Amino acid sequence: MTLHDLSERVSAARKEVESRGETFYPGPSRIHLASFPPKERWDDWVELDSTAWPERKERHFTLVPTICFNCESGCGLLAYVDRDTLQIRKFEGNPEHPGSRGRNCAKGPATLTQITDPDRILYPLKRAGERGEGKWRQVTWDEALDDIAGRIRRAVQEKRHNEVMYHVGRPGEDGYTERILAAWGVDGHNSHTNVCSSNARAGYHYWTGIDRPSPDFANAKVVLLISAHLETGHYFNPHAQRIMEAKQDGAKLIVFDTRLSNTATHADHWVAPYPGSEAAIMLAVANDLIQRDRYHREFVRQWWNWQEYLAAERPDLEATFENFEVALKEIYAEYTFAFAAAESGVDEAVIRDIAEIVATAGTRLATHSWRSAAAGNEGGWQVSRTLFLLNALMGAVATEGGTYPNAWNKFVPQPIHTPPHPKVWNPLTWPLEYPLAMNELSFLLPHFLKEGRGKLEVYFTRVYNPVWTNPDGFSWIEVLSDESLIGLHVALTPTWNESAYFADYVLPMGHGPERHDLMSYETHNGQWIGFRQPVLRAMRERLGQPVSDTREVNPGEVWEENEFWIDLTWRIDPDGDLGIRQYVESKREPGTKLGIDEYYAYMFDHSVPGLPEAAAAENLTPLEFMRRYGAFEIQSGMDPVYQQPVPTAELEDVRENQLGRVFTRAPKSDSPNIVPQASPEGDDEGRRPVGVTVDGKIVRGFPTPSGKLEFYSSTLAEWGWPEYAMPTYIKSHIHRERLDRDQMVLISTFRLPVHIHTRSSNAKWLTEIAHSNPLWIHPVDAGRLAVRTGDLLRVETEIGYFVVKAWVTEGIRPDVVACSHHMGRWKLDDSHQGPATATANLEHRGSNWHLGRTHGAGPYQSDDSDSSRIWWTDVGVHQNLTFPVHPDPISGQHCWHQAVRVLKAQPDDRYGDVSVDSAKSRAVYLDWLAKARSAEQHSPDGTRRPFWLMRPLKPPKEVFRIPGGDTD
Amino acid sequence: MMELFRALAVLAEPPTQETERLAEVLGIGRPPAGDEYAELFLFQLYPYASVYLGPEGMLGGEARDRVAGFWRAIEAEPPAEPDHVAVLLALYAHLAELEDQASSTRQKAAIGTARAALLWEHLLSWLPGYLDKVADLAPEPYRRWGEVLIAALQEEARRTPLPQALPLHLRATEALNPRKATSEDVSQAVLAPLRCGMIVTRTDLARAARQIGLGLRAGERRFALDSLLAQDAPAMWRWFQDEALEWCQRHRARDAWLPAIARDWAARAQCAADALGRLRLEAAGTRPAGTVSSTMAP
Repeated sequence: MTLHDLSERVSAARKEVESRGETFYPGPSRIHLASFPPKERWDDWVELDSTAWPERKERHFTLVPTICFNCESGCGLLAYVDRDTLQIRKFEGNPEHPGSRGRNCAKGPATLTQITDPDRILYPLKRAGERGEGKWRQVTWDEALDDIAGRIRRAVQEKRHNEVMYHVGRPGEDGYTERILAAWGVDGHNSHTNVCSSNARAGYHYWTGIDRPSPDFANAKVVLLISAHLETGHYFNPHAQRIMEAKQDGAKLIVFDTRLSNTATHADHWVAPYPGSEAAIMLAVANDLIQRDRYHREFVRQWWNWQEYLAAERPDLEATFENFEVALKEIYAEYTFAFAAAESGVDEAVIRDIAEIVATAGTRLATHSWRSAAAGNEGGWQVSRTLFLLNALMGAVATEGGTYPNAWNKFVPQPIHTPPHPKVWNPLTWPLEYPLAMNELSFLLPHFLKEGRGKLEVYFTRVYNPVWTNPDGFSWIEVLSDESLIGLHVALTPTWNESAYFADYVLPMGHGPERHDLMSYETHNGQWIGFRQPVLRAMRERLGQPVSDTREVNPGEVWEENEFWIDLTWRIDPDGDLGIRQYVESKREPGTKLGIDEYYAYMFDHSVPGLPEAAAAENLTPLEFMRRYGAFEIQSGMDPVYQQPVPTAELEDVRENQLGRVFTRAPKSDSPNIVPQASPEGDDEGRRPVGVTVDGKIVRGFPTPSGKLEFYSSTLAEWGWPEYAMPTYIKSHIHRERLDRDQMVLISTFRLPVHIHTRSSNAKWLTEIAHSNPLWIHPVDAGRLAVRTGDLLRVETEIGYFVVKAWVTEGIRPDVVACSHHMGRWKLDDSHQGPATATANLEHRGSNWHLGRTHGAGPYQSDDSDSSRIWWTDVGVHQNLTFPVHPDPISGQHCWHQAVRVLKAQPDDRYGDVSVDSAKSRAVYLDWLAKARSAEQHSPDGTRRPFWLMRPLKPPKEVFRIPGGDTD
Repeated sequence: MMELFRALAVLAEPPTQETERLAEVLGIGRPPAGDEYAELFLFQLYPYASVYLGPEGMLGGEARDRVAGFWRAIEAEPPAEPDHVAVLLALYAHLAELEDQASSTRQKAAIGTARAALLWEHLLSWLPGYLDKVADLAPEPYRRWGEVLIAALQEEARRTPLPQALPLHLRATEALNPRKATSEDVSQAVLAPLRCGMIVTRTDLARAARQIGLGLRAGERRFALDSLLAQDAPAMWRWFQDEALEWCQRHRARDAWLPAIARDWAARAQCAADALGRLRLEAAGTRPAGTVSSTMAP
């Protein structure tokens, strides 16, 4: 037989086998030059049943895409649905997803263990005894919905709009629920962001008018990360894979992290500064660039608002760029390498090396800071602000390999209905003391309620667990237990959590493969949308069995939120007399309830450029296309939006102010992309800002008041913080000068790479990998205390203490200890189990609280035989209970780092003990509140907040006015 | 032909149940067993181009970078192991298919150039010698696999124009210097195919020990070799010299269809043989008269 004949014989055999729908070559392998099943075979993909080995038993799957619901990066998943049993057998990556490109972290495939968790909540439950007593009865969805809707309807009718609040963790969607709240007319959105990323957001927002960065890691020459958990713990998959690409192409990776994180282990330069000193180092690097004229002079001249700075701060100088450069050198001259070294404890030569590397990056400098250093410190918003200063100096803004504002790398389509923003202002979330807060003061809610600022009729916690996640959890328990403060607490959650114990209703919501959502994230320089969908619903539809209610295919009576909110809204206003129902009505059949297919079909048909054409090319409708592939890339390789010329059609009766800001009377073009960004105000004659004049040309610019990158923030200057009008260094609340000699710094914000807050604790695979949170302590400190790994330590905060095990490691710098907040879950009885939850005893006397561990995790009998194989008992310590609130006086972010005393455990101390005096936590709250500068004293125009700043729900301008305040 | 390359690529992967069917279709007799795969590809003949084309004879390094660079040059993302024989053969099949399906002459020519580069630079630069050893060591299914593969490669070489230059891998690494190489240089080089022109496996070291009468210490090749040299260096140099001369003949036998590459490999083996001869004499206390001459230089 010739070679040709042999080849033909192989081809024929392949054809014959594949015509039977079977696989000829082994499944996904490198032989196919891809790691994924080809999409044309997703309808009927054959794999051998591993459990049948050595018998060759083929199983046929339909591969249905959805989106992971664990962290916020929205990676694509492919559910392998067994065609015989219609059960999901596993999850792999979706190669059609532009952000994750078929790759997932451990949390993606572990979704299977979340949906099959034997202890998940499957039915609506209503409290049977006292709140927190742990007694429940199953109720129908109708009973729960009618009760909740009736209360909300009465609140709206009686103008008690501010008594309805929705408290959300990571939303996992782009604006759906905000629009529901807007439809109700309530200003009740309460995000978790102020315990998360507000400080980082503030730094970016003041520069660009957009509150998130989007580094083009893959094309960078230098990648500079402050904190590592974004790249190893949370959004890590889409970012990490691109950082590794950059490294393979020769990029240098610099990581600032006090702790040796997974990201730091991959760094060319790992720098472990004293916590809170990061901004000082950034300023020293910036100063080096400035003093040695190594910055992008032309970019700075064109795009910084230096004219505004000179006018406001240096009227003595003629407004020339040369004069600004002289002033710039003066401003930062004090930030020498020696200064930064003294503040940070990092060797001066190391900082000099970093500066040299940054200087060589040109416009390919990709930088990123999110939580950690920013979230840990008072003034932490200057960390991201000073980091972005480096980009602004190098001109590495929206360049290939540089850092984009996220709004240009994200796409949020126009929905079918857009209700107006509420005409009320909720001071429980946006208090006068914090006019510049980036997000709602969510973590101060217990204190606000206790001091009588308001009360809540209906309070939703949505896949969020404030008792466990927020600081000062015992204060949360105190208000959640008080029915005079919170009339009805509705916990929307797939699994039990510490806050749900104190709910009146616990309503089972779907995990990622059990719900619809639309998501877009800044994973790279491109724009994409990802479609989360209930997998079994999509599967049934492919089999010609339409599903109109996701509860038909979800386990038990688990519902998806989209349908839940539509139904609840309908019940609030069943006749439409409140004007609410219209926003959940069908357009195809007016007067009937909006269906999910219509909701998404409308978006995909009308608001996603290119999608209808791509779908038509495959003889699909846009909705069918998204159900089949789960994601769509609208554009990749975005141009710098700020440089785009403003079309002549948008220039009508134009005015230009003295700083070059251009205003027009032409109406705003109706962009299909409604991604959030700041909205600078128009001129006094009613024109809207449309661009900025740069070197004689009118271009888009940035969504800031000046239209330029705001090196100088007139907002900060005018609202009571002139000393911080420019990027600078604020000494943290845990600065060495503020610590007693026997105190150390506790870093509590870092993640375990396989976990994600409350959401992953019942994922048995993930919990088997990581289930404890020992205290990282340097050998020098361990030696001083005479402790070894495994010994018990007592960690004392301002309001109490917790007892934890030591882990002696050189992965942390001396004088600093660290404990991940991902562990320490607890429950008060044995009514349900879980691989990561200890059973605890909660004692309460006056303001003194004590949580003691009864027993840790262990094996138990359930539908899942793996639950009898749990081999670990240690599930960590709930340290956040011992943290008082630390609201940053400007951004409103809770500043997580703690000044602590680390001692050997006392004789009566037991592992996992937590003891707190909530009266002390109140005193700390008042101390920090006193740092704020209230709008009542500092508002320049009698309003509560600068109108141009981003805000999730944004009432009309007249509502911004302080009641009874100055009328300007 | 391309389906043949893809099938041969699959056979260089750990055996699965699909392998049975492929073995039958290819007529290579019984399917290989898992332990046979492990013995051949994990313990004897590592199926990565970088082992045979890098200066140290190790996985990765510059040689793998060059292969990865080829993937990037054709705008494909290099896989995790870009130089594994299975991936290279699958890529070759893929490029040949694209070439067949090209819609324009220009496109066809461009893809054809890429395919030819892959063939000459990254396949024919090492696989003929590698498959020689497969023929020596492999159990029946893999021996047949090697026979079909070398025949297929010969056929592809016949239909693809000869390149003007030697593969970059070969140009980038020098042969042993027969006059100056120290015993340390040579002991390093004998386990680096590109430096010495021969492939020395664990089995070969065991054979050397057996033939010379030395004790073989269990361990990785470097450890075993050092032990053998410590016991009787002159005898080992002699043994390697004979091996190198034999490899010289093996390479020369391919001169007709692989002229430049075969000559280059033969010259490397000859240089190694010369260096080994000099070391053998030095170790035995006999200095060779005059300088060692090498008839061929790479």
